Amino acid sequence: MATFEVAGLQQTYGGRTVLSLETLTIETGARLALVGPNGAGKSTLLRLLAFLEPPSAGAIALEGRPVSTRAARRAARRRVTLVEQRPYLFRGTVAGNVAFGLRAAGVTGPAVAQRVRAALDRLQLQGLHERDARQLSEGEIQRVAVARALAVEPVALLLDEPASSADRAAQQAMFAALADEQARRPLTVVFASHLLEDAYRWSDRLLALHQGRPSPVTPENLFRVDLPGGAAMQQVAVGPLRIDVVSERAGPATLAIAPDEIVLSAAPLQSSARNMFHGRIVRLAEHGAEMRVTIDVGVELVARITRRSFDEMGLAVGREVYASFKSVAVKVF
Amino acid sequence: MSALPSEVFGIAALSLKVALTATVVSCLIGIPLGFALGWSRLRGRRAVLLLLNTALAFPTVVIGLIIYGLLARHGPLGALGLLFTWQAIVAAEVVLALPIATALSAAAVQTVDPRVRRTALTLGAGTLRTAWAVAREARFALAAAVVVAFGRVLSEVGAALIVGGNIRHETRTLTTAITLATSQGNFSLAIALGLVLLALALTVNVLIQLLQGRGDV
Repeated sequence: MATFEVAGLQQTYGGRTVLSLETLTIETGARLALVGPNGAGKSTLLRLLAFLEPPSAGAIALEGRPVSTRAARRAARRRVTLVEQRPYLFRGTVAGNVAFGLRAAGVTGPAVAQRVRAALDRLQLQGLHERDARQLSEGEIQRVAVARALAVEPVALLLDEPASSADRAAQQAMFAALADEQARRPLTVVFASHLLEDAYRWSDRLLALHQGRPSPVTPENLFRVDLPGGAAMQQVAVGPLRIDVVSERAGPATLAIAPDEIVLSAAPLQSSARNMFHGRIVRLAEHGAEMRVTIDVGVELVARITRRSFDEMGLAVGREVYASFKSVAVKVF
Repeated sequence: MSALPSEVFGIAALSLKVALTATVVSCLIGIPLGFALGWSRLRGRRAVLLLLNTALAFPTVVIGLIIYGLLARHGPLGALGLLFTWQAIVAAEVVLALPIATALSAAAVQTVDPRVRRTALTLGAGTLRTAWAVAREARFALAAAVVVAFGRVLSEVGAALIVGGNIRHETRTLTTAITLATSQGNFSLAIALGLVLLALALTVNVLIQLLQGRGDV
């Protein structure tokens, strides 16, 4: 069954359409990452899925039931919880914060303390119960907010840029807790991220948004350029690089190089690929049987390769490699 | 005017009773109203806030006159027989304090981080619980609204004089007693009563501050 089914969804603020989604189905238990630059509509979509605001047009169904009235949204908010990019902790203790949603759900007596403890334990926040919520680090605030959201056992947990304020270890703990929770019970997780590595590492599906609409290309290896024009085969400046592209266009454009079109090699290749750049691996992300390798060649390029190739080449952060791709692999739009 | 200590005590007690009742009533109505105004995005909200802010500067004698007109024997509410009773003073003071409680709590709610409301809502809270969460975060500003309303009614004299009549043992409050003592040339009594008034105001403010400090769970 699907947790969310979205149809003809539109959100308009002051006459400006900030989100337009024809259809979107999010299956129960899914781990969907929303990616895209600032202003792409990720946060708007999360607020709509959290039923915190009504859409200008279209409909969202939660677990098969349409949620269109005020009363339906109020009921739906008991099933879906959003953790904002900069979560707000209420005045008081950490335990008081985690208990808030439980009390709202009508939980009373010793069950409150028990569930508060369980939620904090899951996020490895033991010992923080009685701490003043205003005296936590950003990473702790983030995890307390996730614990507070999970305590009410929602069917869907929405996270806006969960990694932005947390350090690497806190982030790891948080995503691990979410994976544990998903193993324990059916929980749908939707999170927005501008860090593609995180999106790939923690999601099983990716939705790229660009200016409020689903984008056919994921926002990696995207470059704003100024095409000189004048020939079908052009050389265009991207930072310090000169990239060969096939396009008759001139003027401002966007270049996209799909990560699976980039070939990595330890030595220069003798091939038909017209673009080859030398650089150093700066980041790695595992995603099942594949690896996403970020190489700094003057600009950052992301290449997608299999785990086996990665192992056989003995790649690691800091290694020098050559990245090659054909000029016809460079999309211009 | 005599200055028996027991009489002064009675006057102070009446002043406190009138001021507390009027403050409680006006805050019970005004704070929820302020929340509604601070939260709503309805058209006309600005106009209402403008009216409220104007009402803050409304002359108290005019309010006294209006309430007098309403409660006078031939007035619309004359049958209640409330004119020249302490309840009449409370009615006038409520009219006076209501715009203060409403306008200041609307302002208090508007300054609360918008995430508080969204967070309460997304955690499944209903309207009341959400309002409570917002009130807790805005408690200093809300307490200020209560304090200002209380200060206004405790120190008010014009309306209390008109609708209360300054009747000895009945409707004589500290402020109306000070007015009388001054007009009779009894300055030392007026000053003594003034000091009692100050002490009362200080005590209530200290109590409110103590309550505020304990609100932290």
